[in-house]
Amino acid sequence: MSTTSQKHRDFVAEPMGDKPVTALSGIGEVLGKKLEEQGFDRAFVVLGQYLLLRKDGELFTEWLKDTSGANTRNATSCSQCLREWCDAFL
Amino acid sequence: MAALRNKSDQEIKDLLDEYGIKHGPVVDTTRPLYEKKLKETMAKAKVTVTKPSPDRTFYREDQEEVTYVTYQTPVSIDYFSCLRPVFRPHVYNTPSSSSYSKPTPVVKSGGGVVKKENTTSSGRLIPLWVQFLVFLILAGFLYFIFTNMESAESSPFNRIQ
Repeated sequence: MSTTSQKHRDFVAEPMGDKPVTALSGIGEVLGKKLEEQGFDRAFVVLGQYLLLRKDGELFTEWLKDTSGANTRNATSCSQCLREWCDAFL
Repeated sequence: MAALRNKSDQEIKDLLDEYGIKHGPVVDTTRPLYEKKLKETMAKAKVTVTKPSPDRTFYREDQEEVTYVTYQTPVSIDYFSCLRPVFRPHVYNTPSSSSYSKPTPVVKSGGGVVKKENTTSSGRLIPLWVQFLVFLILAGFLYFIFTNMESAESSPFNRIQ
């Protein structure tokens, strides 16, 4: 099991509410800005996209890389973060 | 293929299903991703299908008689830089000659493609029907020998003269 960051653990610990997109694991300032430009200004909107892609980690990772220019590591981290959040709260 | 961008959402969805790509609903946020995936898959599919095998045309030009030359992969590479490893039989030696002529006319790409699909799908070095033919000939030959031997009285294969 890969070690998760504090950010990941914080996000997965509670309902996301209105948290900004930068609260997601793997999404920092730069990627957050790119996502906001595309209209994904809140974490729950990205969650919406994840759900639209049927919670498929690969598809979501690919989408995130295409949309925000994220690298594989960050995209996978975000994907995993959302997956665990869904497992806990969805 | 026609521009994916101009297709309706339903058509994109149908194409995704056709290629067996796992997907969710086609919405404005998911559409670019699916278009990209379709483009990649279609490009890959096109590469594997439209690769004719040049050695089939060689067969045709050879005399109908029996021995076929080895076809080495460099020949095919000269014609088309094939990505897929091409399956090549080494030597064909058949006793019967006339029955060996290829039934289907070898047209450059179309026939060649069909032929290619046939051989590679069975994955044999010598086509199946050749094997059957050889087997039947061998069996018949052995039977012929057997019946014509000076056999003992108790042989079941004695003909009633």
